[in-house]
Amino acid sequence: MTRSQSTIHGPILELRKLTRTFGALTAVNAIDLDIAEGEFFTIVGPSGSGKTTMLRMLAGMEQATSGDILLRGKRINDVPANRRPTCMVFQSLALFPHRTVGQNIEFPMKIRGVDPAKRKERALQLMRQLRLPENYYGKNVTKCSGGERQRVALARALAYDPEILFFDEPLSAIDYKLRKTLERELKDIHRETGKTFVYITHSLEEAMVMSDRIGVMQAGRLIQVGTPNQIYSTPTNRFVSEFIGDVNVIPVHIGPNGKLISDDFAAEFSVPKIPVGFTGGHLVVRPEFVRFLGSGDASENRLTGRVYNEYALGSRIQYQVRVGEAVFIVEKLRQQAYTGGLDDEVAIGWSGADSILVSD
Amino acid sequence: MEAKQTNWRNGLVWTWSLAVVAFLYLPSVCLLLASLTDSRYFTFPITKWGLSWWAKTFNSLEIHALFKTSISIALCVTVISVVIALFGALAFARYEWKGRSIYQKIVLLPIFFPQSVLGLALLLWFNALGLDLSWKSAVFAHLVWIVPVVTLVISIQVYSFDPALEEAAYDLGATRWQVFREVTLPVLFPGIFSGMLFAFLLSWGNFPLSLFTTGADTTIPEYLYAKMVAGYTPGVPVLGTVNTFGAAFLLLGGYGLILWWRRSRIGDSKE
Repeated sequence: MTRSQSTIHGPILELRKLTRTFGALTAVNAIDLDIAEGEFFTIVGPSGSGKTTMLRMLAGMEQATSGDILLRGKRINDVPANRRPTCMVFQSLALFPHRTVGQNIEFPMKIRGVDPAKRKERALQLMRQLRLPENYYGKNVTKCSGGERQRVALARALAYDPEILFFDEPLSAIDYKLRKTLERELKDIHRETGKTFVYITHSLEEAMVMSDRIGVMQAGRLIQVGTPNQIYSTPTNRFVSEFIGDVNVIPVHIGPNGKLISDDFAAEFSVPKIPVGFTGGHLVVRPEFVRFLGSGDASENRLTGRVYNEYALGSRIQYQVRVGEAVFIVEKLRQQAYTGGLDDEVAIGWSGADSILVSD
Repeated sequence: MEAKQTNWRNGLVWTWSLAVVAFLYLPSVCLLLASLTDSRYFTFPITKWGLSWWAKTFNSLEIHALFKTSISIALCVTVISVVIALFGALAFARYEWKGRSIYQKIVLLPIFFPQSVLGLALLLWFNALGLDLSWKSAVFAHLVWIVPVVTLVISIQVYSFDPALEEAAYDLGATRWQVFREVTLPVLFPGIFSGMLFAFLLSWGNFPLSLFTTGADTTIPEYLYAKMVAGYTPGVPVLGTVNTFGAAFLLLGGYGLILWWRRSRIGDSKE
């Protein structure tokens, strides 16, 4: 429901060949993208991939070198940040240290000249919505905890009543457990407000939890855009596949017999279909799709190695299997844990349909 | 054994600290004592205690004129230097631009010039320009030395200022002026206030620059020096005491004001 909902509306934000250069460096390189009204869109990329520069251009804090930004079809390149109906939650949160929680939230309304009584009413309403206790209204914002400060920053942005909210890695400095809670809260707030959220992060895991769609950025380019499921199951290149987490990436090429050959493993691998024109690249196999094979088990792809070590990951366990010089990662649910000893010889295998072939 | 050694060490730390404090502050106390005499000359120990020189000093029209000159210079220097230093500090500490590091060094260099040489140079310069020397020319002389100091003091606050605060305010609809008034100025205010105190007190106590550049006008430090050289009366320590303790009270009062501001501006009471 929520996924398809985003495609019902037209795009609220359109990027056309958006480019930003700094001297010889092209930070953002000719990006084309449509973001739908009410969508939770996340841009993921490592640091230096240009995602922050891109977000700052959308918010109006950075000038585009070339290309267009359209808001509901109107070009907004030359509209300064303070006149755009958009608002940013900063990485540092940028809460005003000389103001109370209430004054921070009321800031955009004060600037707009809203009557003080109405300001307070709206601020308290936003505080309720974000589960900030009412007596925090007069609290020194520098004395709030990390999670509380996140909520104040979000409340302040919502008080501006923007059409689009931008987020610049606001959760990156927060510990794991709280981050997980805040990710869910943010997604709930997205649902409640129905506003368009554009979020950037370096964590694909974070993006997966919250987003309707994800765009993966690398070296200034948007290399794949899709739903979390599409990004996870059909990455378009090696970079995207490795960005998601632990994967087995095997260099392969086409042998004389037309089959996939791996020199590292001295083996042939099978996949359902080799794309036309493919000559070499990588075969990507997720650890959870690899099985330990019993003596009688058949498998399309099969390797023999030794279990070198095991790592408990809570509900799952990872195994490092060494096949000759190469390392293979196998992941099992705890209930299906490997029962043999370390250094035992094992056979591992996976179905060709569970592997992904990328051409770089 | 352990405890005994710690006690001994604590005692040593305390004795040392007290010795340092005494070394720093005893001269000022002696100044106060020297002013509490009723005799005409400088004698120590005091033979005849009294407040007559305090009364004479406060009733003297000449002294009133000195105060007026010193305060006029210090106030002008404070206002002008804080304005120049605030924007200088923003350029100094905030923005990345070509030549910034050279600018930083050039701005700070006058602090290390010997002040009497700087005073002489300024005197020659003012003469070359054909300016009439008065307390007004001294204001410019003080600025040459005090603006760098105040720039340094304010830039410390600017360094700890997160530029995202300004961007956030701008993004939330504020104009450039509103950003400055609502965010930049109040957040930097403790630094600006310290800069004001520095400017006032450095100007108030300055002797070498004033000596060369005040012309016919006389500041309190100049008067103290002149009277020490020729015509000592116990009015000198009176004026010195007033000068020193006045500055100290201004500093402590300013510090108290900053603390009070911090508490009252951010409503902790309603927690």
